[in-house]
Amino acid sequence: MTFQAIYTLTDLRILLRETAPSHEFDTNQKIQVQRLLENLERQVGSLRQEMLK
Amino acid sequence: MKCGNGIEARQVDELFINIDPIQAGGRLTADAMKAVIAYGDGYSVCDNCRKPNRLDYISKPPIAEFHKEVAKWLNMDAVRTVPGARRGFQAVAQTYVNKGDPVLLTSLSHYTEFLAIEEAGGVAREIAANENNLVTPEAAAEKIEAVKKEFGRAPVLAFIDHVDYQYGNLHDVAGIAKVAHQYDIPLVYNGAYTVGILPVDGKALGVDFVVGSGHKSMAAPAPSGILAATAEREKEVFRTTTIVGDVTNRKFGIKEPEMMGCTLMGATLIGMMASFPHVKERTKHFDRELANHGIVMEALLSIERTRCLSEYPRKHTMTRVDTTASFDKVAESHKKRGYYLQSALEEKGITGVIPGATKVWKFNTYGTTRKQAEHLAASFVAIARENGIAVGD
Repeated sequence: MTFQAIYTLTDLRILLRETAPSHEFDTNQKIQVQRLLENLERQVGSLRQEMLK
Repeated sequence: MKCGNGIEARQVDELFINIDPIQAGGRLTADAMKAVIAYGDGYSVCDNCRKPNRLDYISKPPIAEFHKEVAKWLNMDAVRTVPGARRGFQAVAQTYVNKGDPVLLTSLSHYTEFLAIEEAGGVAREIAANENNLVTPEAAAEKIEAVKKEFGRAPVLAFIDHVDYQYGNLHDVAGIAKVAHQYDIPLVYNGAYTVGILPVDGKALGVDFVVGSGHKSMAAPAPSGILAATAEREKEVFRTTTIVGDVTNRKFGIKEPEMMGCTLMGATLIGMMASFPHVKERTKHFDRELANHGIVMEALLSIERTRCLSEYPRKHTMTRVDTTASFDKVAESHKKRGYYLQSALEEKGITGVIPGATKVWKFNTYGTTRKQAEHLAASFVAIARENGIAVGD
């Protein structure tokens, strides 16, 4: 749990590197970003539950 | 945004296409970034260090396996990780060079090879590169003969850079190794710009040692690197300690003096390990990197009076160009003087060219996507046109 959200952010960071400087995403990259952001929201939700219970 | 007291978070590679000649091959993979986050603490890889208590014996994380895999990948017999290629040069020089010994390197050798020789008390003798900035086996043979005349004996060691840092030219290491071995000279292959970038086969090259740079070419944090040896040389450079304390009678097991015991004990090693599968894979696709580099070179050479100082067609993605008669002409009257080029590049999202350089400069496109290479190409041409420099077809 400690690392999941950080690792998802890392994957997003790599996408920023691969698409610099315009950060214009193609269709596959958009799908990837969407999936990563959904994962991140879920992971942050889990952290909230775990750490604030 | 700050990531520490006075430390700005670095976002160079997120915001720009970075063509810095020494940074391109050392950018971390996602797995390396993740591993570094988890293993940032000092002796983090030592949680499960058991007897015989040496880094390359640790099996969790799989450090022992990593050492074996790297040796196999390079077709060498033994590998150790070192804090940068320079520490690999140092270990070999300390093993073979005594005070006053002649040591062979080249007119394009990296300065750390000179320092390794100096520290060991050796005398540097350079093989001169030819008019095309290439070091040849013939020139190596001539220099060895000259050294024999001067010193009454052959050099005790030779350092040859497969791809040199000045031009990014690819030199005939296999041919030079054959010559060196005719004189029983052990040869160190400097793969700072090749190990982790393109395929390297130590046995096929016929070299005694392969040195690689983690932070320059293996997508690893600095300082990191590898030193690989043949079975014959392994016993010499990786010999184990024999020293004994006279009061305590202490001995130090299988620690290796040239490695100063254990070498990379945390984020550096784990970063190199995490990137390794990706690095192995990427070396198989160097042709794609050259194709992207070709797009940029073609654009640069379409800018009138721009010259490629490196061998051409290119065999590596790091290249030295001469824009004295093109971009530098603009600098003479531009209000930003020589800084206009860097400024114009940054406006187009490109960084890594030395600020103020408009005459002779180097760049490296390694790791760029095709789209990024096309952006680089279009940007150089656009900057030329915006500043009144003619561009051909």
